[in-house]
Amino acid sequence: MNPNKIVKGKRPEFYETPGIDLLMHMVMTLAQEHCAMRDRLDTIERLGNEGQPVTSSNIEAYLPDQTTLEDREKRRQKFLENLFSVLTQNAAQLSTNDTKERFDALIDELATES
Amino acid sequence: MNKDFINTFQQEVHPLLVDGNADDRARQEYVKSLKTSIQQSLLPAISGAYFQRALPAFAAEKGRPPEDHREARKAFADDPLFKAYLSINRISQELQWTSVIDALAEAGQQLEDNAKSLLPAGGSLTLDPDLEVPKYVSSIDIHCMPGGYCGPDGAHALHTGALYDRGVYLYAMGYMGPRNDDMGRSVCNYVKRNHPDYKPRRILDLGCTVGHSTLPYAELFPEAEVHAIDVAAACVTYAHHRAEGLGIPVHFKQMNAESTSYEDGSFDLVVSHILLHETSNKAMPKIFHEAYRLLAPGGMMIHADLPPFDNMDVYTQLILDNETWYNNEPFWTAMRNKDQIAMSVAAGFAEDAVAFDTAPMAIMEFASNGDDSYSEEAAKEIEDREFEAGEYAPGGGWEVLVARKED
Repeated sequence: MNPNKIVKGKRPEFYETPGIDLLMHMVMTLAQEHCAMRDRLDTIERLGNEGQPVTSSNIEAYLPDQTTLEDREKRRQKFLENLFSVLTQNAAQLSTNDTKERFDALIDELATES
Repeated sequence: MNKDFINTFQQEVHPLLVDGNADDRARQEYVKSLKTSIQQSLLPAISGAYFQRALPAFAAEKGRPPEDHREARKAFADDPLFKAYLSINRISQELQWTSVIDALAEAGQQLEDNAKSLLPAGGSLTLDPDLEVPKYVSSIDIHCMPGGYCGPDGAHALHTGALYDRGVYLYAMGYMGPRNDDMGRSVCNYVKRNHPDYKPRRILDLGCTVGHSTLPYAELFPEAEVHAIDVAAACVTYAHHRAEGLGIPVHFKQMNAESTSYEDGSFDLVVSHILLHETSNKAMPKIFHEAYRLLAPGGMMIHADLPPFDNMDVYTQLILDNETWYNNEPFWTAMRNKDQIAMSVAAGFAEDAVAFDTAPMAIMEFASNGDDSYSEEAAKEIEDREFEAGEYAPGGGWEVLVARKED
């Protein structure tokens, strides 16, 4: 590891199950890399639309304008919304009091033969 | 935060800025987006979990709600949504720094060449190799920035400042303006608006790091001589080169705000921005005493920092206190419980010459500077925000402690 990435101050553990903290960090890092690659693909498409050759130097030199920045930000927010969708769904179900008990009772009512 | 608002704020390019190649910049954009998403989606989700699950459970057991943030934390600590929020928030902070460190790995020589080719703006840099860096800076990497303000051993002289400069921009998601200077700019405006006849000739910024908040003073009080100090050589070195690169003259010195080598009465205005909460119990009163000593008669001390916990509800306190535990900010919460008025009086200020106030955010100004990403619409969005615990910037303004020395 790059020694310049080590932080002084013990990293807290958020989850009781060993490995979940590690896994969460890996997932979020992969999500970061996915978004970076998506932006690169977007640059390639935009170069193509402008009839420019897709070369490393053209990709590097490409500077997104305001509309492109907004398109990319909207796409990332959509992606993050999906990434966190179970989390936000759990919160929403909490607020509507949509519980496991209600689910079980519904099965009893609708599907259990009397 | 308004969910329809699309944040595309971009940092102003200057000769010392390191943002890396196209992929590095894309990773950094992700960090801003992630932090935005945490505020827009996860924060409201955990607020629901607290008020609909943790609070009723606590109240059912104890017959009363939690009395303070410590009790609230115990009540909420095992909530799965809270844990997820805390872990993702921490990771956003980690990815923020690594995305810049990767960019810096390629930047060594270029950064040095850029620093050497700057045209002098009239500022200066004075380092003190014998200065003992206080424990509150050296013993923990505040904000989880690897290497902290002084940088890792053997780090390039400009890398730590460059990391902080870009990292702060990502942390603030651009809400501090294209130069990360909204706090300094807001306090300058506050002084000008409330004291139109006050013309400080010499200004000192305490704990200036890379000079984000310092430069507006030189810009908005062009007649004044502006000095800025920090304990970290790495910070003031970068601050000096950044200021020269932006053509703004400031005298940066490596000094400790608890005890400087300036003479009594050297300054008309002594300021600090988000410094106090990164010091300690022992250091904070010393800084107040030193500010009083350094002020000329009629001079003003202004500390822009975190608002005290006094009038905040327990849930707000709990969310804010997360910084203490999960973002390496040991003094963050304790500082908010200090009686800063009493501390100012003990330092020598008259009681009726000390008060808390709000300095409105200066962000509207950026909109008129022709930067596309800082549109008027975007600036208005920020100005109209209501304060929400856990969101980066308070809506509307910064908390300031203002004390004036008798004439």
